[in-house]
Amino acid sequence: MEDIQALDLSTDTQLYLLLSAPQGINSMNLQVVKKILAKKCIPLIISLNQPSQVLVKSYAKEGITPDQYYVIDAVTHYSGGTCRPDSHIRYVNHPADLTGLGIAITDLLKQIPSPRKCIIFDSVSMLLIHIPTATASKFLHFVVNKLKISEVSGIFLCVENGLDPVILSQMSAFVDKIVDFEKTKSPSLPDQRF
Amino acid sequence: MAKTAKKGSGTAQDAFHEDVFKMVFDRIQTGILVIDPETHTIIDANDHAEALLGVKKDKLTGKVCHDFVCPAHCGQCPITDLNTPLHNTERVLLSASGERIPILKTVAQATLAGKAYLIESFTDIRDRKKAEERRIALLAYLNESVLRIKKPLELTGENLRRIEDQAGTGDYTPEEIRMQIRLQSNNIMAMAATLQDLASKAAEERDDIPERFREFFIGK
Repeated sequence: MEDIQALDLSTDTQLYLLLSAPQGINSMNLQVVKKILAKKCIPLIISLNQPSQVLVKSYAKEGITPDQYYVIDAVTHYSGGTCRPDSHIRYVNHPADLTGLGIAITDLLKQIPSPRKCIIFDSVSMLLIHIPTATASKFLHFVVNKLKISEVSGIFLCVENGLDPVILSQMSAFVDKIVDFEKTKSPSLPDQRF
Repeated sequence: MAKTAKKGSGTAQDAFHEDVFKMVFDRIQTGILVIDPETHTIIDANDHAEALLGVKKDKLTGKVCHDFVCPAHCGQCPITDLNTPLHNTERVLLSASGERIPILKTVAQATLAGKAYLIESFTDIRDRKKAEERRIALLAYLNESVLRIKKPLELTGENLRRIEDQAGTGDYTPEEIRMQIRLQSNNIMAMAATLQDLASKAAEERDDIPERFREFFIGK
């Protein structure tokens, strides 16, 4: 996964859709967070895939401390866990609570002190479990607009070949680049590396 | 035009044939217009053409055909100007209410009493178009629903393997493991709901599904 090192976050607003095989998506999350931190950006992870409590432990194993990032956790309450108050964590009741997610994104983007911040949406595939593609597309468009207005970078994680062609074409219009992580790993396709 | 066939006929058989022609002309479920190819004016129309166009025959006769059955401009008639045959070709009919009605149109050339005419016949295909649109929408819905299930299921499988690994390390509390298993379980239930919705929609659209299966799928 050395390709993640080439992730370009040099300008204020960069939007990526990262595609990966199911077995690579959690590793990709971790690598992207490391990359963002290395670029002196503050990551805001919107987690629809893992409870923040587990995410914190996974990151800690890699030497990433909780004060280095912010999390919007849409699954702890949904999975019957305890939502422990934390200034770096905002809980949303359900992954399909798009209003709650929107408010949490707005609030935390304001709360993060650094001028350089980047959201990681983990993941579009998990969002599609709970809402239809058409609704997801509208919501992601809303998020992208918010990021562009706020001059915040965004990285949307998704399982490869898991998007309806309609949402994929819409997202290709929203984001600066769609990167198929598996293809970027192929030495025969070096030009697709980002 | 139907009446012009009477000219020159005097026998009972001719009268019978005329009655048959008139009956077929007015009752056939295909719109028919007789057009003068020189002036592009409507000479005659049957009842079904009247009904589809929403215009009475007396208001149709003498009018230019471009205004109703052919959106082509003057001088660009596909038959007389462009020599393009029309046989069961999809076209649009402009009704008096402004509705654009999809039709299958055929134009035949005929000579009656030494004069050439165009016989335009057209069939309303609104139902067929709606069925096609429903089918396309259903296929798109099926495809989208499958994508909303297949990849998330693979991801869920991968997550369960990861949770299994985590459970073995001792780094995660039982509560953290329980919470993650519950999350995957809830996600599977959400996918099952999508699948149920998909099965219901498919059953509603398909007439060939036996009734007992339809009842099973959609509960009615």
